[in-house]
Amino acid sequence: MSALGEMVEEITDGVDAVFLFSPTASHYEGFEEEDGPPTVVVATENSVDAERFVELPLAFRDLRERIRFGIEGGIDRGFIEESATVVCAASLFDDGIDTVTQVSAGEFTRSGVYDLFVDSRADAAVIRDVLDVTIELGKKGQKGKQVGALFVVGDAGKVMNKSRSLSYNPFEKSHVHVGDPIVNVMLKEFSRLDGAFVISDSGKIVSAYRYLEPSAEGTDIPKGLGARHMAAAAITRDTNAIAIVLSESDGLVRAFSGGELILELDPEEY
Amino acid sequence: MQVGEFSREVLQFLAESLVPLAVLVFGLIVGFLVGRFARRLMVAIGLRRAVEGTTFERSAQRLGTSTVGLIATLVTLFIYLAAIAGALELAGVFETRLSLVGFTDFLPQVFVAVFVVIVGLVVGDKAEVATRERLRSVRLTDVNLLPLLVKYSVYYVAALIALAELGLSIGALLVLLGGYLFAVVVLGGLALRDVLAAVSAGIYLLLTQPYGIGDEIEIDGKRGIVQEVDVFVTRFESDDEEFIVPNHLVFRGGVVRYR
Repeated sequence: MSALGEMVEEITDGVDAVFLFSPTASHYEGFEEEDGPPTVVVATENSVDAERFVELPLAFRDLRERIRFGIEGGIDRGFIEESATVVCAASLFDDGIDTVTQVSAGEFTRSGVYDLFVDSRADAAVIRDVLDVTIELGKKGQKGKQVGALFVVGDAGKVMNKSRSLSYNPFEKSHVHVGDPIVNVMLKEFSRLDGAFVISDSGKIVSAYRYLEPSAEGTDIPKGLGARHMAAAAITRDTNAIAIVLSESDGLVRAFSGGELILELDPEEY
Repeated sequence: MQVGEFSREVLQFLAESLVPLAVLVFGLIVGFLVGRFARRLMVAIGLRRAVEGTTFERSAQRLGTSTVGLIATLVTLFIYLAAIAGALELAGVFETRLSLVGFTDFLPQVFVAVFVVIVGLVVGDKAEVATRERLRSVRLTDVNLLPLLVKYSVYYVAALIALAELGLSIGALLVLLGGYLFAVVVLGGLALRDVLAAVSAGIYLLLTQPYGIGDEIEIDGKRGIVQEVDVFVTRFESDDEEFIVPNHLVFRGGVVRYR
């Protein structure tokens, strides 16, 4: 037992900060009362009224993604240095915290997943709503059939000027915003159409049926992804928009920003 | 002799009480029937759906009834009370008829007052929800004050009517209402002049959409691509500048659209 205790001590010794992922109030208070390294709470909502708090836009099922988001958020908000060593306490299997892991923030390659939500042109809530609808679409498909979809979020004026219409825009002169339940149903119905959805900074659905025409020169995405992902990556390189893609072939949800693949999720896990 | 007198007295009493009794029974039956009819009528005109979701309906349901049931019960109760009062009056049970006359005269007013209060509560709630929905459809959900203002204004007016019906003096309350309306209209108009102008222009812009996201426009000598049009402002940007222009300026100066 002492060998195990030593091992845990080795992991938790001399760290610069403790990251608690969705802790209970009593857990958090215990850490706060102690005179230890600063505590950062990472959760979907700040239910423990933590002073240092990073909001998760969605409950990442993959622990690595969750930790990555938390640490990038912590660095971005100045809670920790970029060279800091932190201990993360999170839940891997069940609801309660069951895992303690040490992460060196410096060795962590920044994927920009935090910036994707917080520093994008579009509101974080809008991006979350679009991601939600994409995940739902990926999970259920359209009438049981796997579909693909491409949402371009933010910087809509420029995106509109770098794309052309494939057909009549069903959202013309409408005032619909992502996040309304009825609109989500509409988006799912329209996902059978070809082309991209364009969504403005504040979440207004500007257009469907858009054929994106960015210059794809120099866009580098992982091999094996198709034209839809290529178009998504290229439009985010050309404009300040971000793109969220549901792949028709492998059913994964991917987010692009600045021409780079930032986030990859399996809708089945949510 | 005594037996005969007694039986005559009984007969006389029966004869005297028969009419009031008949009135009572008739009133009770009519009350019951009218109550049922009122309930059916209210269901038929869709009142149940109209009041659905209002606070009043919810509190009524927590008490094990509903708005429709409550009003029907009220109607029934009113007729019962009228029948009982009429029967008692005919029977001459009360010595001082005056108090009873006052009571029966007062009854319809009480009934109307209660009815007005119920209608006021329901309409106020409905008006609040409707205002909120309307604001949401133009993406103005953050304005929480307006729906509340509408709701309490309706409550206030309902209370005024109810009190007036009961014959209470409401002069002071009327003055208060006048002052309140004056304050809302004049001060609100003064303080929010530009905002109101921008909103009314913005609503026109949103409804007709003379220019949309992605169009290249020029307002006040500033040229750029439209990024967002909301009720208050139009945002558009050129390569290195972002303009946020209140919508009434769009109206005042006009818009140039580049094709």
